[in-house]
Amino acid sequence: MTTYNNSGYLNPAYHDYETLEIDRRTSSKSHHANPYPREAPAWLGVRAPQSPTAQPGGDDASGGRWQEERQGTDESIPLGFISTQPQNPPWQHNLNHTTFQIDPDAHDRSAASQISSSMSANMTLRWRGVSARRLSLFPTGDPSHLFPEDVIRNELDNEEQDLVKELIGLSTVDRIQAVRALPMSVREKKHVRSQVLAFKSSKQSQQRGCCADCSESVSWTFRRFGSGLKAAGQALELWQGTMKEISGRFGTSVLTYFVFLKWLLMFNVLSFLINFGFITVPLLVYDPSPNIPPNVSFRGLEILTGVGYFNYTVMYYGGHSNETFAGQVTYNMQLAYFLTIAIYMVLCGLALIVSMAGSFRSNYVVADPSSDSAWQLLCSWDFNMTNERAVRQRKNNLRVQLKESLSENAQRKLLTLSEELSRLCVHLASWFLSTILALGCGASVYYLCLYEAQMLAADAASWSLLEEAKTLLVPFVVSLINLCVPLFYSLFNKFDHYSSHRRQIYALVVRNVFLKMFILGVLCYYWMDVVAQNVSCWESVVGQALYRLVIVDFLFLMLGSFFGEFLSNVIGTRMLPRIGVPEFDVARNVLELIYAQTLAWIGIYFAPLLPVLQIFKLFLLFYLKKISLTHNCQPPQRTGRAAQMQTIFTALLFFPFFVGALSIVAYTSWSLTPSENCGPFRGLNNSFGAVAVWIHTLEDISGSQWVIWIYQKIIKSPIFYFIVTLIILMFIYVFWQVTLGRKELIALLRKQIVKEGKDKMFLLEKLHSLQTSHPNATNKQANQQQRIGQFSDRRSPGSQSNSSALVQALLARQQFEGDLSGGVPVPADISTSSGLIQAMLAYQRAEDLNEDLYRMPDGRLSSFAPLPPPTRPRDEDRGTAGGPGDPVHAPGALEQAMQARQRAEGADDLSSSAVMMQVIQARQQEERLQWTPGPPHNPAPSGSSALIQAMLARQQAQNEFDDGY
Amino acid sequence: MGNKQTTFTEEQLEAYQDCTYFTRKEILRLHSRYRELAPHLVPLDYTNSPDIRVPLTLIVTMPELKENPFRDRIVETFSEDGLGNLSFNDFVDMFSALCETSPRELKTIYAFKIYDFNRDNFICKEDLKKTLNKLTKGDLTSEEVALVCDKAIEEADLDGDSKLSFADFENMISKAPDFLSNFHIRI
Repeated sequence: MTTYNNSGYLNPAYHDYETLEIDRRTSSKSHHANPYPREAPAWLGVRAPQSPTAQPGGDDASGGRWQEERQGTDESIPLGFISTQPQNPPWQHNLNHTTFQIDPDAHDRSAASQISSSMSANMTLRWRGVSARRLSLFPTGDPSHLFPEDVIRNELDNEEQDLVKELIGLSTVDRIQAVRALPMSVREKKHVRSQVLAFKSSKQSQQRGCCADCSESVSWTFRRFGSGLKAAGQALELWQGTMKEISGRFGTSVLTYFVFLKWLLMFNVLSFLINFGFITVPLLVYDPSPNIPPNVSFRGLEILTGVGYFNYTVMYYGGHSNETFAGQVTYNMQLAYFLTIAIYMVLCGLALIVSMAGSFRSNYVVADPSSDSAWQLLCSWDFNMTNERAVRQRKNNLRVQLKESLSENAQRKLLTLSEELSRLCVHLASWFLSTILALGCGASVYYLCLYEAQMLAADAASWSLLEEAKTLLVPFVVSLINLCVPLFYSLFNKFDHYSSHRRQIYALVVRNVFLKMFILGVLCYYWMDVVAQNVSCWESVVGQALYRLVIVDFLFLMLGSFFGEFLSNVIGTRMLPRIGVPEFDVARNVLELIYAQTLAWIGIYFAPLLPVLQIFKLFLLFYLKKISLTHNCQPPQRTGRAAQMQTIFTALLFFPFFVGALSIVAYTSWSLTPSENCGPFRGLNNSFGAVAVWIHTLEDISGSQWVIWIYQKIIKSPIFYFIVTLIILMFIYVFWQVTLGRKELIALLRKQIVKEGKDKMFLLEKLHSLQTSHPNATNKQANQQQRIGQFSDRRSPGSQSNSSALVQALLARQQFEGDLSGGVPVPADISTSSGLIQAMLAYQRAEDLNEDLYRMPDGRLSSFAPLPPPTRPRDEDRGTAGGPGDPVHAPGALEQAMQARQRAEGADDLSSSAVMMQVIQARQQEERLQWTPGPPHNPAPSGSSALIQAMLARQQAQNEFDDGY
Repeated sequence: MGNKQTTFTEEQLEAYQDCTYFTRKEILRLHSRYRELAPHLVPLDYTNSPDIRVPLTLIVTMPELKENPFRDRIVETFSEDGLGNLSFNDFVDMFSALCETSPRELKTIYAFKIYDFNRDNFICKEDLKKTLNKLTKGDLTSEEVALVCDKAIEEADLDGDSKLSFADFENMISKAPDFLSNFHIRI
C-alpha cells in the first residue's frame, strides 16, 4: 500500500495534507474492494462506504444490517453459503475493518487537525505516544492472535503515512531528530526518511527556484559542517578510552568523579586561555623581561612557596604594569586586567548556570523513596559494566541490598518512640560536634595566620630559606584539616544512622561543605581585613598564599590517595581482612575538587596565571586517581543515584563556592583600595576606577557618547538595578506559579493514569467473564471442534447471524493455530462446513501472507504471474514478509490453500476429512512461513482504544450468537 | 582515499547519520567492530547493502556485552527476526539506542522491551523474577524473590493490574534519572 500510495505522494498535486488524506482513504477502500469486483459489486457497493464511517456505538446496528444483507444475497443455504464463500475474505476484512477502522480514522482526523492547526514539536511527542501505544498492545510482531494481520498491516501503513506526513512538515533539523528518536529499526527509519526526502524533492522540483536551491545547499553545507564539528569534537575528546575502562570496571557512579574532573579541567583551560591571551601576552610582548631585583635569585623552594623570584613575574598581580602600551595599537593594561577578570567570571557563572540548569532539568526529580526495589530491579543495573569481577561484585551487592531492604521492611515497624528519640539525639549530637569542629578549625586557621604574620619579617626579599619554608605552615595546616576532618566525619556514619543511604551521604556532604566554607571564609577575611590594611603590595601576598594553598592541597591530595586508599588497601588485604578493600568515596573526592577549584577562582584576581597550575594539577590528578582506583579500590557497595549526585555536585560548586569566590573578587575590586606601589591599579581608589578613568578619556572622543551614556545611566545608576531586580522578582513569581500549576497537573495526570488502568482492568475482566460464561466460548480445545461442528450445523436453518459466525470462525482459527503449531491433531469427525470454515480461514491467511496479492484481478485464479512489481521491494522494505525466500514460497502455499478451498466447494455435501487434511496441510505450510516471530521493531497499532473496540466487536459477536440460538 | 576500499557510499553514510546518533566515523568504526565478530561472513564492502546477519552467539562475545546479564535479551530485542541474528542495521540500531545522546523516550521503549522477557507487553511477575535471577545469580531464595518482585510491582504499578504496563514503567523511569546514564553502552 505504501508504494501504491507513493504515486499519490510523489505527485506534486497532492502535496496538500487534506488531499493526501482523501487519497489515502480512497486507496485503502479500493484496496479492499479490488479483489472481487465482479463477484458481488452490489454487495461491496453497500459495504465499502460503511467502513470509514462506522462508529463504536453503531456496531450493533451495522452488524444487524449485514445479517440482513447476507440473507438477501445468500438465498440457498448451505449451498449458497458455500458458493458465496469466496466472498468471505473481503467481507471478513470489512467486518474487521469496521470494528477497527474507527481508531485509525479518529486518529487520522486528529492528525489532520493537528497538522493543520499546529505543526509543532508536540507532534513528535504524539508520535512517540502512538508508538508507545503500539508497543503496549502488540508484542514483537505477533499481534495476529487478536486481529488479522491484514488489518494490522493496514493500520501500520496508516501510521507510517501519518508519520511521513508529520515529518514532511518539520524543518530539516527537527526532522532528523524526530527520525532518530523513532523506536524503529534503522531499516524502517531509512524507509521513512527516503519517503520524506522523495516527497520533498518532488515538491521542490515543482517549485524549483534559485532561492530554494540556494537555501537547500546552504542548509546542507551547514549540516555537513555541524556533523564535521561533532566528529572533530569527538576526536579531541580527552580520555575517552580511560573513561570507558573506568565505567566498565567501576560503574557510572565512580565515573561521575572523573567526568566532573574533566569538566573542571575544561573550565581551567578556558580561563587560562582568556587570561593568558588578554593579560599576559600583551604584557610580555611589550616588556618581555621581568624586572627582577638583583638580589633575588631562583632557589627552588619557590615552586612550593611561590614567593621570591615568582613575585616579580607576571604570575601575580604585582607583576603587572598600569601603563597603556602604545605600540602600533594602544593597549590599556588596567582596563584589560579588569575586564578580562570580569568577563571570565561572568562566563564561568553562565557556564555553571547553564550546566546546572540542564542537569536539574534532566536529573533532578522529586525523590521517591517508595519505589526503591522497583528501581533496584529495573533501573539500577549499569549497562556500562564490562569487567567480569565488577559484575560479580555488583550482583553480590545487589543481593545484599535486597536482603537488607527486605529485613529493613520488617524492622521499620518495630521502631519505638525511645529508639526514635535516641536516634534524634545522635543526629543532634553529631551535627553539633561537626559544627563545633568546623568552627574550631576556622578559628585555629585564623590565629595561625595572625601568628605567621607576626613571625615573618615584612620584607620578603630578605627571607632565608627557613623563613620561606615557614610560609608553608598555614597551607599545610589547612590541607591537613581538609584531609583529616572529613575522615573523622565519615567515622560519624558508624553510629549516626540515617533512614536512607542517600541521606547519609547528603549529611556527610553538608558537613564537609560547612568545614570548607568556614576555612575559606576565615582565610578570605584574614586577607581582606588584615593583609589588605597592613601589607604593601598586598594583592601579590594574597596571590602567593593562594599559590601555596593550591600546591600544598595537591600534595595532600596525592598523600590522601596514598594513605586513604593505598594504605587501607594494604591493611584491608594483608592485616585486617575484616575491613576489606576500600571503596572509592565519590562524594569526598568531588568535594576536594570543588575546594581546589574555589581556590583557583578566588586566585584569579590575585594571580592571573593560577589556572596553569590548576590545569597541571587536575591533569595529574586524573591519572593518579585512576591508578589509585584501579589498584586499590573496589567498586562502591552501594550504588547511589549517580545522576542526582552529579546534579548536587554541580549545584554545590555553583552555590556556595562559585558565588563565594565571585563575591570575594567583586568585593576586592569594588571596595578595597589597591596597593599603592605595584599592580595595574596603583593610584586608584578601587579597581573599578579603571573603568571610570577610561570613560573619562572617552569624553574627548566624538562618537562615543553612547558609551558614556550607558556608563552614567545604567552601570552607575541604582535605579536601573532596582528596576531590573523588580522585573526579575516578578518573573520569578510568575514562574513559581506556573510550576505550582504544573505540579497540580502532574498529580491530575497521574490520577488519570490510575483511573485509565482501572478502566482497562474492568473492561478486560468483563471481556474475560463474557468469554468464560459462554459455553461455546470456552478455551477448552476438546469442546472446540465439537462446537464448530454444532455451530455450523445450527446455522443451516438459516436463522443465524453471519457476522457472529465469522467471529466464531476467527476464534476457531485462533485456537486452531494453537493446535497447529503443536502436533496438529486432525479430528476425523469434522463436518464439511467446519472444513469449509477452515478452508476459508486458510485462504484468508494465505492472503494475509501476501496482502498485495489482493489487488489481483481475480483471487480465484491460482496463477500468480501478475504479481505487481512494486510489491516486492515493498515487502522487502517493510520486513513483514519474513525472510527473503518468503515471497517465493508464499504464492505456492496460497495456491494450495485455494485448491483446497476449491475442492471443498466442489464437494458440497460431503464430510470430507481428506479435504480438511489438505486444508490443514496448506495452513501448516503457511504457518511455517508466517509464524517465524515477526520483527521486533514491527510495532503494532493501537492502545487501549483498539482494545476496547476489539472487545466491543467481540461482545457484539457474542450477542449475535446468542440471538442465533 | 585512493586505493582504500569504500565500505559505504556517501548516501548510505548520510542516511545512517540521519537515522542514528552516530557520526560517519563512528558508523565506520561500528562496521569494523561488526566485521570483527564474523570476518568470514561480513564483507568490507557494504555499498550494495548485503543481507547478512551475525548470529546471537557471536554478538554476545563483544566485550561490551559479554558480562551483561541481559545480553541475550538486548540482542534479541534489537534483532529484526526476534531470534538474535543481527544485521548491520540492527547492530547500529542497538548501539544508537544505547548511546549517550539517545533520548529518554527511546531508551525507555527499548528497556521495556528488554525487560519484557515473554513479550506480552507487560512486565509481569515472571519477567521480574527472571530479571532478578539474572541480577543476583539466583542466590536469593524463591520466597525472597517473590517478595522483592511483589514489592517492586506494588511500588510501580499505577493501575492495579499487578503487572507493569509501559505507562507504569515510563512513570517509574521518569523518577529515576540515572536510568539514562545506566542504560548506556559505550562503544
